[in-house]
Amino acid sequence: MANTKKKDDISKLSFEDAIKELSSIVGKIEQGEIPLQDSLTQYERGMALIKHCQTILKKAEMRIEKISESEAKTQQETEDIPF
Amino acid sequence: MGNFALIISSDMQNRAKIYTVSQVNSLIKEVLENNLPSRLTVTGEVTNWTIARSGHAYFDLKDENALLPCVCWRSSLSKIKFEPENGLAVIAKGHIEVYSPHGKYQFYADSMQPAGIGALQLAFEQMVKRLREQGLFDDAHKKPLPQYPQRIGILTSESGAAVHDITDSIHNRWPPARLFLYPVPVQGEGAAEQIAVAIRDINKRNKELKLDVLIVGRGGGSLEDLWAFNEEVLARAIFDSKIPIISAVGHEIDTTIADLVADARASTPTKAGVVAVPDMQEVLENIENLNKRLTSQLSFVLYSAEQQSDELSIRLENSVKHLLADTRNRLYAVAEQIRKIEPHRLLAMKTVGLNNLHNRADLLVRNILNNSQKQLMGVEKQLPEMMKEMLIKKRWRMSLSFQKVMGIKPRQVISQRIVELSNLRNRTSLGIGVVLNKQRMRLTGIENRLAGLNPKAVLKRGYSITINKKTGSLVRCPKDVQIGELLNTELADEKYIESKVTKK
Repeated sequence: MANTKKKDDISKLSFEDAIKELSSIVGKIEQGEIPLQDSLTQYERGMALIKHCQTILKKAEMRIEKISESEAKTQQETEDIPF
Repeated sequence: MGNFALIISSDMQNRAKIYTVSQVNSLIKEVLENNLPSRLTVTGEVTNWTIARSGHAYFDLKDENALLPCVCWRSSLSKIKFEPENGLAVIAKGHIEVYSPHGKYQFYADSMQPAGIGALQLAFEQMVKRLREQGLFDDAHKKPLPQYPQRIGILTSESGAAVHDITDSIHNRWPPARLFLYPVPVQGEGAAEQIAVAIRDINKRNKELKLDVLIVGRGGGSLEDLWAFNEEVLARAIFDSKIPIISAVGHEIDTTIADLVADARASTPTKAGVVAVPDMQEVLENIENLNKRLTSQLSFVLYSAEQQSDELSIRLENSVKHLLADTRNRLYAVAEQIRKIEPHRLLAMKTVGLNNLHNRADLLVRNILNNSQKQLMGVEKQLPEMMKEMLIKKRWRMSLSFQKVMGIKPRQVISQRIVELSNLRNRTSLGIGVVLNKQRMRLTGIENRLAGLNPKAVLKRGYSITINKKTGSLVRCPKDVQIGELLNTELADEKYIESKVTKK
């Protein structure tokens, strides 16, 4: 249960946050700031983060979407209605 | 000229004619305006520049010798890109009119251009100066760009080449980026306003759009073509944006207001990718590097845990050795003491003293033996337990981690470590066992030797101890007893016989 939750956690991380956390885990383990048992848990999390980063990188679609301005205007109007 | 001559000649004819002020001014107006070109181009230095509340500008143009009063109507003023100011040399186009109510002639300028540099260039310089003074270009206001943007908004013309330059330059470096094009006009009347509105619109909707960074740009062109990117309305929108903005306008050499106010600048649309996104190859290398560090670090952690457990078991072994050596030494010391007490001297001692000594020696030896035995048994019992427990715990942790890590990469390293660790466990418990056995055997030897040294052991060799039953003292010579008295004699194995003195 806890594990699935953790994994969900990771899959929601942005690439930037994942890389940041990964670097900090590696740094902490390298500094010897983490006891043995924890370092194994952290290692596991580090590996999951790496996998997550790689998944993000593989998701390249090379697609260009368009933001329609009209949608914006309709929205603005709807937003303005209460007043 | 002909008209003028006509008026003078008719004036001479009608000497008595009296004019009203209005008539005079009207005459002057007519004469002046009819005899001057309908349009004039005047160059001079602006002075006394004032914009009235009505929005019309009143000023003078001057040179070294003369001053010409000028007016610029609000409607004309709005078409002038730069801001005229005192001391500025200009070329103005317009016409001369006489303003009859004041009896004053004025130059009505409908267009103006700075003399020397172009109007747009001047306007640009003036805007840079003004916005810089207002702090719009300050580094303190520059927002940091995201390191790994995933959603990038692009504001440019849908039809220009710039949109492809920008998207290609991003996708070539960083394929995972999702690009969102917000089409806007990039030149012509109202372009700046529309780009500004688009920037504000995106900011307002960014909870749903989730854009990490915006790129605003267009391809190269003349200063006029790029002008939208020099307008204040766009500069303000860029400055106000909560989302970081990268400008990518024109060629390398073009610098626009948008470039100065944006959080980062790409010199051309094709350079947008380099500024906006990281290089995928480098990022992959970085991840691979982190992966390597993580894995090697884990092996290192396991290795040092082993080393620690090695050290611990050596320390345990040593402390057991010390304990045993200590016990052995104490036993030797006691044995030595006891050996020094010779059996026949003991026999010669007083019964009480002997008994006391016996008892004390006995007790001492027994205590020492008991204690040693207990200690050893305790050590024997506890140490392997402790070791076992520790090793089991370690092994359990290791195998738990092993299972977890099995699914991943460095399983070879770990399994090798675990084999080594269980070897270590075997070696350690074997080592302790050998030490214990050796010490136990030694102890039995000492025990046997001690038993041989028991003072009462001499009784086994045929000696006996005789005591006067009445006095209870040791019988050492005939005067210690009387004829007829009873004697108690101790033989081997705590056997006693009683006898009577019949002769001495």
